[in-house]
Amino acid sequence: QLRPSSRNNTPKASDDEIGYLNPKEYTIAGIKINGVNYLDTAVLLTISKLAVGDRIMVPGEATSAAVKNLWDQRLFEDIELSIAKIQGDSVYFNLNLVEVPRVSSIKLSGLTKSETTEIQEKLNNQKSKVVNENLNKTINAIIKKHFFEKGYLNTEIDITYKADTSDSNSKIVFVKVDKNNKVKVNAINIEGNKEFTDAKLKKFMKKTHEQAWYKVFGSGKFIQEKYEEDKDKLVAKMREKGYREAEIVSDTIYPNNKKSINIDMKVHEGPKYYFGNINFVGNAKYPTSILKQVLKIEKGEVFSEEKLEKTLRSSPNSDDVSSLYLNDGYLTFNVDPVQTKIYNDTIDLEIRIFEGPQYTINKIILKGNELTNDQVVLREIRTKPGQKFSKDALIRSQRQITQLGNFDEQKVDIKPIPNPADGTVDIQYTVVEKPSDQIELSGGFGGGRVVGTLGLTFNNFSAKNLFNLKAYKPLPKGDGQKLSIRGQTNGKFYQSYSFSFSEPWFGGKKPIYFGISAFTSLQSNGLANSNPIQQKIRLNGLTFSLGKQLKWPDDFFRVDYSANLQQFKLKNYAGYLFENGDSYDLSLSQVFSRNSIDAPIFPTSGSNIKFTVQATLPYSSFNGKNYDNLATSERYKFTEYHKWKFESQFFQRIYGKMILKAQAQFGFIGFYNKAVGQAPFGRFRLGGDGLQGFDFLQGSEVIGLRGYANNSVVPEGAPTTAGSPIFNKYVLELRHPITLSESAQVFALAFMEGGNTWNRFADFNPFNVKRSVGVGARIFLPIFGLLGIDYGYGFDRIIGNSEANKGQFHFSIAQQLGGFN
Amino acid sequence: CKSKFEKLRTSNDVAKKYQEAIKLYNKKDYTKALTLFDDLVQRYRGRSEAEDLYYYYAYTNYQLKDYLSARYHFKTFADTYPSSPKAEECRFMTAYCYYIDSPNFSLDQDNTYKAIESLQLFINIYPRSERVAEASKLILDLRDKLERKSYANAKLFLDIGDYQAAVIAFRNSMKDFPDTKFAEEMEYLIIEAQYLYAKNSREIKQEDRYNEALVEYERFIEKYPKSEYADKAKKLKEDILKGIALTKEILATYSENKKVEKEDEQQQ
Repeated sequence: QLRPSSRNNTPKASDDEIGYLNPKEYTIAGIKINGVNYLDTAVLLTISKLAVGDRIMVPGEATSAAVKNLWDQRLFEDIELSIAKIQGDSVYFNLNLVEVPRVSSIKLSGLTKSETTEIQEKLNNQKSKVVNENLNKTINAIIKKHFFEKGYLNTEIDITYKADTSDSNSKIVFVKVDKNNKVKVNAINIEGNKEFTDAKLKKFMKKTHEQAWYKVFGSGKFIQEKYEEDKDKLVAKMREKGYREAEIVSDTIYPNNKKSINIDMKVHEGPKYYFGNINFVGNAKYPTSILKQVLKIEKGEVFSEEKLEKTLRSSPNSDDVSSLYLNDGYLTFNVDPVQTKIYNDTIDLEIRIFEGPQYTINKIILKGNELTNDQVVLREIRTKPGQKFSKDALIRSQRQITQLGNFDEQKVDIKPIPNPADGTVDIQYTVVEKPSDQIELSGGFGGGRVVGTLGLTFNNFSAKNLFNLKAYKPLPKGDGQKLSIRGQTNGKFYQSYSFSFSEPWFGGKKPIYFGISAFTSLQSNGLANSNPIQQKIRLNGLTFSLGKQLKWPDDFFRVDYSANLQQFKLKNYAGYLFENGDSYDLSLSQVFSRNSIDAPIFPTSGSNIKFTVQATLPYSSFNGKNYDNLATSERYKFTEYHKWKFESQFFQRIYGKMILKAQAQFGFIGFYNKAVGQAPFGRFRLGGDGLQGFDFLQGSEVIGLRGYANNSVVPEGAPTTAGSPIFNKYVLELRHPITLSESAQVFALAFMEGGNTWNRFADFNPFNVKRSVGVGARIFLPIFGLLGIDYGYGFDRIIGNSEANKGQFHFSIAQQLGGFN
Repeated sequence: CKSKFEKLRTSNDVAKKYQEAIKLYNKKDYTKALTLFDDLVQRYRGRSEAEDLYYYYAYTNYQLKDYLSARYHFKTFADTYPSSPKAEECRFMTAYCYYIDSPNFSLDQDNTYKAIESLQLFINIYPRSERVAEASKLILDLRDKLERKSYANAKLFLDIGDYQAAVIAFRNSMKDFPDTKFAEEMEYLIIEAQYLYAKNSREIKQEDRYNEALVEYERFIEKYPKSEYADKAKKLKEDILKGIALTKEILATYSENKKVEKEDEQQQ
C-alpha cells in the first residue's frame, strides 16, 4: 500500500489496488498541500521535487524521496503524502503537513557572562531546530555536561518557551540554569594496595583531593576531566616505581550528600620489576659503551618505563640517546626498546636502534616574512648549509628568531624536509609577522601638573629606505632597526625630548650593535630667562654605542661599549651639590652581559646578568687646579668619577606555571680625588615605581623599590633630590601567567624585596636593607608596551620621612623590557 | 537630510542604481561606485545584466588598489563566464593582480610564485592571445626577482662569514636557475667563498679545501676567459697557492716537532 507517510498507516480512498507489490506508473495531475500556515507552498513543492505532469511510479522512489526531502527541512512534525484520487493514469496527491515552531533564539539566565558565551557557542547547533521534547533533552544534556566537566555535578535546568513575535512560527527558548555549588570530594577509598600506602596513592593524584581545611592548593573540588587525568597519573606513578602491571581495576563515584561525593577505587599493584640486561643493537656510529653511559640505567635498577622513555627520547636537557643522534645529522634516527625476556621480577631489554643516514643541511627556506627582509632573519639562523643536521641548532634558531621581536612567538614553525636521495635536508622556517611598533600617548599627573607624553617606537625600521617613498607602510620597514622618538612636556616647567636609533648588524657583516641616541630636557620654575630668580636645569646628552655578541665563554655573552657626553646647565637650582654653572660629563662605559632568558615579557627560564663599568678621565690629576678652595661651579665643570654596577636576575619554573624571579643589584660611584669629592650626577635614586619619569632629570639613575615612595630611600639626613652614590637591592618575585596570547600577555605577581642606599662605602652593609612585600600585575599589549600596577608595603621607616613607607600603590608604564626595574 | 547618493543607495530602484554605478565608475568615483556595486551584484545574481556588472565590479576593486579582492572577482568572472569575450581579459587580470602584489625580492615570495603560476595558466588557456607576449614578459620579470633573491641570500652567507654555506648556496642557486644572469658572478664568488672557507679551516683540512677552490678557479677561467672577474680570480689563485704552501709548511713543522718529541721521549 502506498503509505510513504511518517505515522499513520491507514489507507486512503483509492479505486485501484495500490501497493508495493504492484507499483504502477501514473502522471501527476495535481498536488494539494494542506496544513501550511507560514510557509510558501510553491517552495515546498520545489523541495519535494514532485511536479504536476511528471510521470512517476506509485509507490516508488519519487514518492518516498518527496517525504524525505521535506523531512530534511526540519520544518514539520508530521508529513503525510496520500492519494486523493486516481483517474485513468492520472494521480492526485494530498500532502498533509503539520508545521512546528522553530527555535529563533536561546536565552540563558543564571550564569556569568563568560559562561553564557561558552554555552551559547555549544548551543549554536540547536538554533533553527524544531521545538520538541528532543530539543529539551539535548539542551539539558549539553549544559549539564559542560558543568559536569567543571565540577558542578548538580546543575539544575529549567526550559520554557515563548512565541517570538518578530519571526512567525518560531519560539524563543528560555533556559534558566542553576549550576549549584561545585561538588567536593569527601573521601577516596582505595583497596587492593599493599606496597603503596593510601596516603601515597592519593598524593599521586594531583588535582583530585579529599577536601580539608588545611589544603591551600586544590580545595578538594571534583572535576571529572581532571579526575580522569589523575587516574592515568596514578597508574603512571606506580609503574614508574617498578610496578609495571599496576592498573585501576575499577572505580565508582557516588554521592555522599548534595555537596560532596565519595570515590571507591580498586587497584592492582602486581609485583615490582627491575631492569635486567640492556643490549643495544643496530648502533654503528656510537659504541654500546657510550650509549649505556647516556642511558644512565644500571642493571638492578627499579624498572620504569618513564625513565627509559626520558633517557631514550625526551630528556628536557637533551642529554638523551635520541638527541645524541639528532644533533649529529641522524635525522631519521629511531629507537625502539623491546622487552626480550622477563624472568621473575627482572626484565631484559634490547634497545633496537635505527641510525639511518647522516643528513647534511642543504637549503634554508624562509616563508611568511611579509614585512621583514630576508637577511634580518637569515643571519640569525643557526642551521647553516653544509653543516650536519642538528636538533639543538634548530631550537637555538627558533629562539633567535623569537628574540627579534617582529614575529609571533607561538607561530614560528620549523620543518626539516629531508631528501633521502642525496642525504641532504632542507630546513623551512615559517614565520608570522606581528605588529611590533609601539605608541605611547599619555597624559598624567606629576608634581601637581598635567604631563603629556608622546612616544613612538618602531622596532622594524629601515633607514636605507628613508628616501624610498615606495617602502613607506606607513614608515620604511623591514631591516630590523629600531627608531624611537619621545617627547614629554607640561608646558613651561618641564620639557624633554629624546631620539634613538639602533642597528643590530652594523655594516651587515657581523652582529655588531650600533646605537646613537640624543636627548635634551629642561626643568624650570616657569619664569622667563631674564628673570633673576628663574630656577632651571637643562640637560643635553649624546651617546654612541657599539656592542658585540661574544663566542666565548658561550654565545649568550656580549660586550657593549659606549661614549657618553652630557651637559648640565644649572641656574639657581637647589638640590644638587652646586646651584649655578655648567658641568660636563664625558665618560666611556663598558658593559659585559649574559642574557639567556627565553622570552622578553614573561620569561620562564634563563638568566640575565650585567656588569657595567663607567669612567671619566681623572681631570683633577692633570688640570693643575687647586680643588681645596675652588668655587663649586669650577669644581664640577668637568665631572669625574668611576661607576660600577652589577645586576643579575634569574627565572625558574617552580610549580605548574608558577615562575620565580630572583634579582640582585648593586651600584657604586667612586671618586679619584678626595679633594674633588663625590660626583654630583649619575647617582642612584631608590624607591617607588622606578619609572624614568618626568620630575627628575636623566642625570641620575632611578631604581624602583616598591612599598616606598618615589626616590625616598636615602641615607639619614640626605636630600631626596640628589641621589646616592651607593645602592643595593634584592627582589624575590613569584609570577603566574593569566593569559599569554598574541594580543595580550597578562600575569600576576607577588614580591618580597629590599634595598638601601649609602653615602660612603665604609657604611655599606649589604644586609641592612629597607624591606617590603606586595602583590601586583603586569599587562603587555603589543602597541602600548608593558603596563603594571603594584601594591607594596614597606616595613622599615625612613628617618626623616614618615610618609615614605607603609602601603603604597605603584603604576608603571613601558618599562624597558629586559631591564632590571 | 540624506544626500542624493545616500537616498539612491538605500532605495530599491535597482535599475537606477545600476545606471548610476556605471556613471560613477566612468567618472572615476570608484569608492562610491563600489558601494553601489557591492549591493547590486547580490541582487542581479542569475540575471543577464550580472555579467557586465561583475566585470565593472572587479575593475572597481582594481582601481581602488584592492588587488586581493580584484583578483578574486576577476577569477570568479573568468570561471563563471568562460565564453564571454571578456573572459580572456579577466583571466589575464587575475594573474596581473598577483603580479602587482608580488613584493620586493627580500620578502616572502608567495605571491610571486602564484603570479607565475597564473600567468602560465593564462598562456596555456589562450595561447594565441595578443596578451601572451606581455604575460611572458611578466613571467621573466618575476623569475628575475626569484633569481635575485636566491643570489642575494647566498651572498649573505659570504658576507656574514659562513663560507661553506655560501659555496653550497651559490651552487644551489645556479642549479635552481640554470640561466641566471648572476651565473658568472656567482661562479667567481664560489672561488672566493671556497678560498675563505679553506683559509678559515683547521690546518689539517686546509689543503683539500684549497685544492677544491683551485678546481673551481680552473673551471671558471675556462668558462669565462674574458670575464670581468678574471683579474680578481687570478689574484685569488695566487692566494690559494700561497695558502697551500703555507699550510704544507705548518704541517711539516708540526710533524717534525712531533717526531723530535717522540725521539726525545725514546731517548729518555
